[in-house]
Amino acid sequence: MTQHLDRRHFLGLAGMTASAAALAACGGPSTSGTPAATEAAEIDFNGVKPAAKIDFWSNHPGKSQDVEKAIIEKFHAKFPDIKVNLVTAGANYEEIAQKFQTSQAAKTGLPGLVVLSDVWWFRYFTNGSIIPVDALVKQLDIKLDDFRKSLVDDYKYSDKQWALPYGRSTPLFYYNKDHFQAAGLPDRAPKTWQEFGEWAPKLKASSGAQYAYIYPALAGYAGWTLQNNLWGWGGSWSKEWEITCDSPESIEALQWAQDSIYKNGWAGVSSKEAADDFSAGLTSSTISSTGSLLGVLKSAPFNVGVGFLPGGPKAETNVCPTGGAGLGIPSGISKEEQLAAGTFLKFMTEPENSAAFSAATGYMPTRESADMTAVLAQTPQIQTAMDQLAVTRVQDNARVFLPGADQELAKAAAAILTQQADVKSTMTNLKKTLEGIYEKDVKPKLG
Amino acid sequence: MTRQLAPLPSTKPAKPGPAAGLRRRRWTQRTRRDFFVFLALALPNLVLIAVFTYRPLISNIYYSTLDWTLGSPSATVVGINNYITFFSSDDASKVLGTTAVFTVVTVGGSMILGLLIALALNAKVRGTTFARSAVFAPYVLSGVGVGLVWLFIFDPGYGVLAWLLRGIGQQSPQWINDPQLSLVMVILVYVWKNLGYCAVVYLAGLQSLPQDVMEAASLDGANGFRRFISMSLPLLSPTTFFLLITSLLSSLQAFDLIRIMTPLGTGTSTLIYEAYLQAFGAFNRAGYSAAISVILFAILLVITVVQLRFVERKVHYS
Repeated sequence: MTQHLDRRHFLGLAGMTASAAALAACGGPSTSGTPAATEAAEIDFNGVKPAAKIDFWSNHPGKSQDVEKAIIEKFHAKFPDIKVNLVTAGANYEEIAQKFQTSQAAKTGLPGLVVLSDVWWFRYFTNGSIIPVDALVKQLDIKLDDFRKSLVDDYKYSDKQWALPYGRSTPLFYYNKDHFQAAGLPDRAPKTWQEFGEWAPKLKASSGAQYAYIYPALAGYAGWTLQNNLWGWGGSWSKEWEITCDSPESIEALQWAQDSIYKNGWAGVSSKEAADDFSAGLTSSTISSTGSLLGVLKSAPFNVGVGFLPGGPKAETNVCPTGGAGLGIPSGISKEEQLAAGTFLKFMTEPENSAAFSAATGYMPTRESADMTAVLAQTPQIQTAMDQLAVTRVQDNARVFLPGADQELAKAAAAILTQQADVKSTMTNLKKTLEGIYEKDVKPKLG
Repeated sequence: MTRQLAPLPSTKPAKPGPAAGLRRRRWTQRTRRDFFVFLALALPNLVLIAVFTYRPLISNIYYSTLDWTLGSPSATVVGINNYITFFSSDDASKVLGTTAVFTVVTVGGSMILGLLIALALNAKVRGTTFARSAVFAPYVLSGVGVGLVWLFIFDPGYGVLAWLLRGIGQQSPQWINDPQLSLVMVILVYVWKNLGYCAVVYLAGLQSLPQDVMEAASLDGANGFRRFISMSLPLLSPTTFFLLITSLLSSLQAFDLIRIMTPLGTGTSTLIYEAYLQAFGAFNRAGYSAAISVILFAILLVITVVQLRFVERKVHYS
């Protein structure tokens, strides 16, 4: 069939196209200009009455659903006028971020309080998705100086506090005490990777395990734990906003890691979860989050030892990054909801609740005054994580502040550690990618 | 197939006579009534399609012209820059290549294996009903569940496959960490999950083949292979054509297995998964992701049109 496009049809088609374009433009973002993220105004909560109900979005880090419910029950008893609804908003930090970002785009269904990980909060800040909590800190008398400084300072930017620490962790060195004993090694974590390089062949020979050490799964924050190797060798992903992943020190560190797998043959890379591989006896040691501690202690059928992360040839200490999640308040909700969320935020992070959360998960207590006596009596290994906090180092900007960088770091690590890619060229390409992300997605928003 | 169609009567009146006005009015009244019936029946569906299919499609095309970070309240209009960025990036060849390999192998694999299984099930032996159910069962299972179970099977540390390989003194390949093996792993599972569908559709096709013709060929001395190549395959061409279209569209939109088995998409990032990763993964590039979705839409459209206009000509309906 052939149809001629006469004037009437043409006008009809043009009208439909215009309507469609108008319809499409009806939702979505404004195209009238991009405000710099640092323009967030101070919010005045004077005279505001807290909302009667808020949602709390969590991924229950460290299998914390029960302890979160218990804390919420206590909150309801103390503040009967504010109902907190605990919502499982994802299985991990990425899924919760996905739901939060989608709700931002849809401009509906936002929670009062949301769990935000170390690599996501800055993006929420640059998008203007969260409010600074300074006004709430002042109004609700939240004792900021009682929080562990290195943990609370992670959420400071542009002279404002954008979140408070919640399920905070560091990586820990986990080792199989039985394997170490059988290999005639001291009952401690190695001081440096070089020392472990000497131990590893003995471990592999005597333990019967597939690996002496297993690198954490690349999909599970490889960029986080590999900072330990980079820093030990004097390298880094970045220094401030300068990308340094291709520096000679960084390349040397990653070359050593690659050699441990391909040249020396005592290390492997976890496919899913290094802590599970360790508990299953697949490896004699690994690095995993403190949030995995209670799970490992419960499931491992052998004696588990934990220690500080090993150093490298250039730095033996301050080679451990902090990590984990904080709590933030969305900007797209009413002041009443923000105040209710602030009230719950204060309660959730109070010393006794911080200690209860730590006892249930293995995450670190975020408050200096949290009484950990009972917790440490039950799980003394948590003390190692708390002691290590004194020698942690702030994460590299490239990992935590560049959108999508963590995924690029994981891809680069995968190329080096699972495909034996050339380290130097991989890092050169990574640098180009990370600089592109900074120039496009971050620099324009910093004003 | 050719059809003889009677010429349509012309709807254009040759000359308006005196009764023409009355006839037009009566026709108009009847047409109007029919039109309202048509509206009453079709409008709800048309509205649903317009709201839930065409509006998102048009919105997506609009978003593809924006530089928009998901979650950000504002965006910049960049015209076709997102498309230029995609096609000029290294990712384009990787993503398009992965999509092509995934689609060709999964569609080809499902259809060839499905046909072979259908031939086996078509044999008149005991147990075919059970075998048919067993072959079809994976197709109706949840992709997420299937992905999780197969992920455990493939786990090189403590998976079933690794255990079997260790039994014969072999190390398990790095199915999850090696990007090339990841693609092989996802393809294998996808084919396993979907070949039952092809097998059942092919089986229905085989069972509807004219037995008299097949028997005549047999009497003429054609052996089984010859009958399959020269008789069954051409007569199955409508089934093959149907499966080709549905499998291609489904394969190009495969998501659940890739998402569950390789969350970072390393080595397995097809067009649809790349669109997901760019918007909802770590990058939050909603505009760029929309552009990739539009490219996928265009590819699907072209494939469907080409199949309908050209491939269908080769199909024997009788």
